[in-house]
Amino acid sequence: MDDVTKAAPAIAIQHNPVVTEIVRNGLVAVTEEMKINLMRTAFNMIIYEALDFTVGLFDAKGDIVSIGLGLPMFIRGMSDTVKAKIAHFGGDIEPGDILLTNDAYITGSHLNHMTFTVPIFHDGELVAFSCCMAHWPDVGGTLVEGTTDIFSEGLQLPIVKIYRKGVPNEELIAIIRNNVRLPERAMGDFRAQLGAVKTGERRFLEMIRKYGRDDVLGGIVAIMAQSEAAARARVREMPDGVYEAESFMDDDGINIGQRVPIRVKVTIQGDQMTVDLSGVSGQVQGFYNSGITAGRSCCQVAFKCLTSALDLPINEGAFRALDIVLPPGRVVSAQKPAAMRMWMTYPMTIVDTIFKALAPALPSQVIAGHHADLCVGRMNGRRPKDNSFFIYLGGLLGGGWGAKFDSDGRNAVIAMNDGDTHNGPSEQVEAKYPLLVERYCLRQDSGGAGKFRGGLGAEQVVQARHPIRFSSQMDRARCKPWGLFGGLSGLGNSVALHRFNQAEETHFPNAKALNQVLQPGDAYILRSGGGGGYGSPLERDLAALEHDVRCGYVSKDAAERLYGAAFKPDALKIDIGATEARRNEMRQRGLPHDEPITEVIIPFPATAAPQPLQPEHEKLTEEERVAFAMQCRCCR
Amino acid sequence: MSQSEAIRLAADVGGTFTDVAAFDEVTGELKLGKALTTPQRLVGGIEHGVDKAGSRFSAARLFLHGTTVAVNTILERNGARCALLTTLGFRDIYEIGRVNRPESYNLFFKKHEPLIDRDLRFEIMERIDAQGTVLIKLDEDQVRAAVSEAVAQGVEAIAILFLHSYRNPAHEQHAKDIIAREFPQLFVSASHELSQEYREFERTSTAAANAYVGPRVRTYLSEMERHLGDAGFGGNFLIVQSTGGLFDVDDARRACIRMLESGPAAGVIGTKALCDSIGMPNAIAFDMGGTTAKAGVIYQGDVLMTGGALVGGYATGLPIQMPMIDIQEVGTGGGSIARVELGNALRVGPESAGAAPGPVCYGLGGIEPTITDANLVLGRLGADRFLGGEIRLDFDGACKALVDKIAKPLGLDPIEAAEGILRIATTKMAHVVRWVTTERGLDAADFALVAYGGAGPLHACDVARELAIARVVIPRAPGHFSAYGMLVADLRRDFVNTWFTPLDEAPFSAMEAMFADMEVRGGATVTRGQSVTATSARRALDMRYVGQEHAVTVDVPIELFQKQDRAGIKQHFDAVHQTRYGFAVPNEKAEIVSLRSAVVGELRKPAFEPIAEGGAQPDAAAFRGTRKVYFARLGFVETPTYDRAKLQAGNRVAGPALIEEHASTTVVHPGDALEVDTFGDLVIDIRRA
Repeated sequence: MDDVTKAAPAIAIQHNPVVTEIVRNGLVAVTEEMKINLMRTAFNMIIYEALDFTVGLFDAKGDIVSIGLGLPMFIRGMSDTVKAKIAHFGGDIEPGDILLTNDAYITGSHLNHMTFTVPIFHDGELVAFSCCMAHWPDVGGTLVEGTTDIFSEGLQLPIVKIYRKGVPNEELIAIIRNNVRLPERAMGDFRAQLGAVKTGERRFLEMIRKYGRDDVLGGIVAIMAQSEAAARARVREMPDGVYEAESFMDDDGINIGQRVPIRVKVTIQGDQMTVDLSGVSGQVQGFYNSGITAGRSCCQVAFKCLTSALDLPINEGAFRALDIVLPPGRVVSAQKPAAMRMWMTYPMTIVDTIFKALAPALPSQVIAGHHADLCVGRMNGRRPKDNSFFIYLGGLLGGGWGAKFDSDGRNAVIAMNDGDTHNGPSEQVEAKYPLLVERYCLRQDSGGAGKFRGGLGAEQVVQARHPIRFSSQMDRARCKPWGLFGGLSGLGNSVALHRFNQAEETHFPNAKALNQVLQPGDAYILRSGGGGGYGSPLERDLAALEHDVRCGYVSKDAAERLYGAAFKPDALKIDIGATEARRNEMRQRGLPHDEPITEVIIPFPATAAPQPLQPEHEKLTEEERVAFAMQCRCCR
Repeated sequence: MSQSEAIRLAADVGGTFTDVAAFDEVTGELKLGKALTTPQRLVGGIEHGVDKAGSRFSAARLFLHGTTVAVNTILERNGARCALLTTLGFRDIYEIGRVNRPESYNLFFKKHEPLIDRDLRFEIMERIDAQGTVLIKLDEDQVRAAVSEAVAQGVEAIAILFLHSYRNPAHEQHAKDIIAREFPQLFVSASHELSQEYREFERTSTAAANAYVGPRVRTYLSEMERHLGDAGFGGNFLIVQSTGGLFDVDDARRACIRMLESGPAAGVIGTKALCDSIGMPNAIAFDMGGTTAKAGVIYQGDVLMTGGALVGGYATGLPIQMPMIDIQEVGTGGGSIARVELGNALRVGPESAGAAPGPVCYGLGGIEPTITDANLVLGRLGADRFLGGEIRLDFDGACKALVDKIAKPLGLDPIEAAEGILRIATTKMAHVVRWVTTERGLDAADFALVAYGGAGPLHACDVARELAIARVVIPRAPGHFSAYGMLVADLRRDFVNTWFTPLDEAPFSAMEAMFADMEVRGGATVTRGQSVTATSARRALDMRYVGQEHAVTVDVPIELFQKQDRAGIKQHFDAVHQTRYGFAVPNEKAEIVSLRSAVVGELRKPAFEPIAEGGAQPDAAAFRGTRKVYFARLGFVETPTYDRAKLQAGNRVAGPALIEEHASTTVVHPGDALEVDTFGDLVIDIRRA
């Protein structure tokens, strides 16, 4: 409204490097404080422990000023959401307003991402926005996994003013409360998010009061210019050319076994990079779609990794040397009513594929493929103590990362979508839910062999002490994390069930096990993939290989078969002479073979009907049953 | 205790210097000594420091010691070869950790590196659940077999982590007993002895770190005891813990990891004592040295604590889960290097020139300009007065480095560049000082700033102004302040016990029994062999709203437990939540996560003598002439300098002024007003900007 918002004086670029640096440190501190404020006040584990949220400051146009380290794959989402809000309200944004939406096609992600924005006014002038996205564990919708449209995924809140001039819109809040399964938790997270955005507003205004409007706003312009210059300098060092690569997703969970192609084209010309995602699959029937802002995030994440990995704050200037080509209707630029619940899975593979394309140009800057999945299981059920309903997002077990030109990939670390995301302590999981974690360990031989080995994936075996419903929606079981320059592929992701007192696990060919009922004593098993290797395994340093075998990261068999190792009799010591001979022979025979794709198709298990309780159950106390089931499994 | 000689000695062994403080309980006299640390034989540096303080071990009845031996053993990775015994299925938990990737865009990121290799992590068949119920009994033979194998591999120390040992430590205790009986030569560290809080990775890491440093710390303490004996010392030997409390050598030999942050903790304890003596309830302890600036908080007379730390930094550090003083740090110190980076951005720190080569002005080969160089160029340090004139600083060298490396590339003049470096450093330090208050929902402007460490007094008034802090206090001997803090510390034992229970259902009888157990054990520990004047116990609960993940620590007056006042406890929790997070939900239910107990055995405190009293005008003898010092917006101002040793209580000095002493210089800005208090502290009122 014109009477409130004065015509803004122009913002001059701040040429004083000292002021610019002070503003830079100040912005980083503000976003850090917003982040901590949200983390500590959040009611749910996915915000507090998993840090599935992003906070940030944006300029009056909605461009990124500083975003806190949160979800990398949301690097674009908040800015585009703020811009959508600006476009929606035009000039009708006033002090005290708080703007909210969870529209999946605006945030580019799923409906769980409630995104709050506070306009920041200084002296009547709109100078910035403070924004916070956080993942709510429940936004209504069906508990049955495998949705095929957005309407079954929960409440859709268009862009609204949840506060108007400081007054809450109680009717809208009532609609939200009415549409979620855990309204008290939801309102707790609602308050935590309000706290975070208000903190951003307060601190930003303090900076303006302390250093002056012109220095702060001019400093922001200068920071963006510095970031742009730094990114351009790094792109300029890259060899010009057109680089392409492809990979695929296993399937969309509905059309089982039907691959979803991922093709990327990267052009480097002078100090500008262009990423073209036109060759990525069209949107799919299953719930793996994401919005166009997520597709753009893929490109920006890859670009930041290669040009300004550690630079803060993350700001708009860092991306000006990047052009993105992404037509609508692709799986990462999906349109309504595409199903979006697992939005985060495919973009990670797109980022990896960009690195794959650039490997010939930037061999010392990229990494081999990683497990590229959050590897989560979703559980719900009732606690036996008080029959209370719970939803638990388990797993987040971390997986293998790709090897690099100078070092091994890391073992068991969260995938590219997330950054500072923590798994939950098993001791806490067991205290809160009727679950028992039997095993949480590294997967031997899961890292791709190479001169530098891919990181190992992890395995988690969890027993249900009481009936639960379980779903896993992983991908990249068949398209395994690839190696580079002769490095081999790592193992893919997988999921299995192990029923009480059965000999064999039940496997799922596409790492998707939807809506399975687990009875007491049954267990689910999540296995994350390893990273791809880098360089030929026949060139691996023998001391490193011996250490790998001694520590069990690599089995003796794999060391012989893939790395050409020959061991001294009765010991895990490598026989250097014999190893050299074996390696030469393998080189001549073109060994070892890489198997980047799992061609073996396991028959898909029949839809799991609820299993009747086994007679053994009756004879045991709960504790005896848990111990019995655990011992059966670990001693198989 | 009525010995004619009752000297209390404190020695803070840092990376570069060993600081000694000697307090004579009869005369009330405090003497100080600073000597170079002697890494090969640390006791040598301490003896030298005691000499310099004009004291001797044979006259002392108490020796208080802060040491970096534990933390350095971890950072330098030169501890014992260790093995881990852990629950079947959890061998890798120490390596997997929390799977987070703080450097989210760095493809070359690293993660923490365990102190124990995978081949020395052994799984044992046993299982206890979250309720403490034994599901699978401990396989004793497996324990024996694993330890035999470990011993064959040359292991000296064993860490034990079994799941849910915070709830039921029976299996850990049992395994430890077996090892103690059958392998008495091994150092054994069971997780529940150090932390009875949930979180298996953090507890594993804590137990492993203790095992890793254990043999070396043991040797160190034994050698120290022997040397003390040789030197004629016949009193008690106490070590400073990360809580700022003291513990005796026997405890220190077992729970070595408790001494991790000895030195910084002692500085905060010194700040608290200072606050007590001058009746100041709220203060921020600000310690700036050569490579970092650290901040801790005294709030309503209490030191603010935290539940753990990451040794080695956030991205790749190893967690230690135990109560300690909440100290935050930033990589800004006198030696921090200023650089122009890509895109013409000016950065200060965290890289430091350290002690070698040091700042350019030391003339020891440093070529990159540092904060110290900027201070010299602006006149805040005197080239001929550094360390009492022991080292002459190279003004021209510092100037040239500033011109070549900063001013020219950025198109600034050298004075602008130097002033800019200090401004950037000031704001960075202000962020960390602000951080320790805002993370609690407090406002730094409501606190006084107590500044110490070699560089603290140079920058304190700038930092205070940045945060709208009204008062700065520079204690006596700011360069020895950690050693001073040890002199005023008490014996202390902390316990934390995880006990997930809704507040509404928590039986007071059970809580009372748990607290009583902790208090009895703590009381026995702090009084063992010591002449304490009183013991006291404090109770706290870690609480959260039902459904929330993160808990806050709530100090609960003991009367509320006696009166079984559930509503009162809830109100305390709501109030803490309101302060810390800006909201409370009185109608939401709360649950207890952990019980905390801190048992303190009070030692007789040194009573410091007031210094000689003078008038408002400092004695002429204190005046050391003037020199030109640069101040923002004024340019170079002819500024009087004073010798701190010759100032008297009641003296007043209006800024601008410099107060110089052996290891430190206090900068008083134009408009600020300094007064020397009864005990010789410099109390500076900051002009409102």
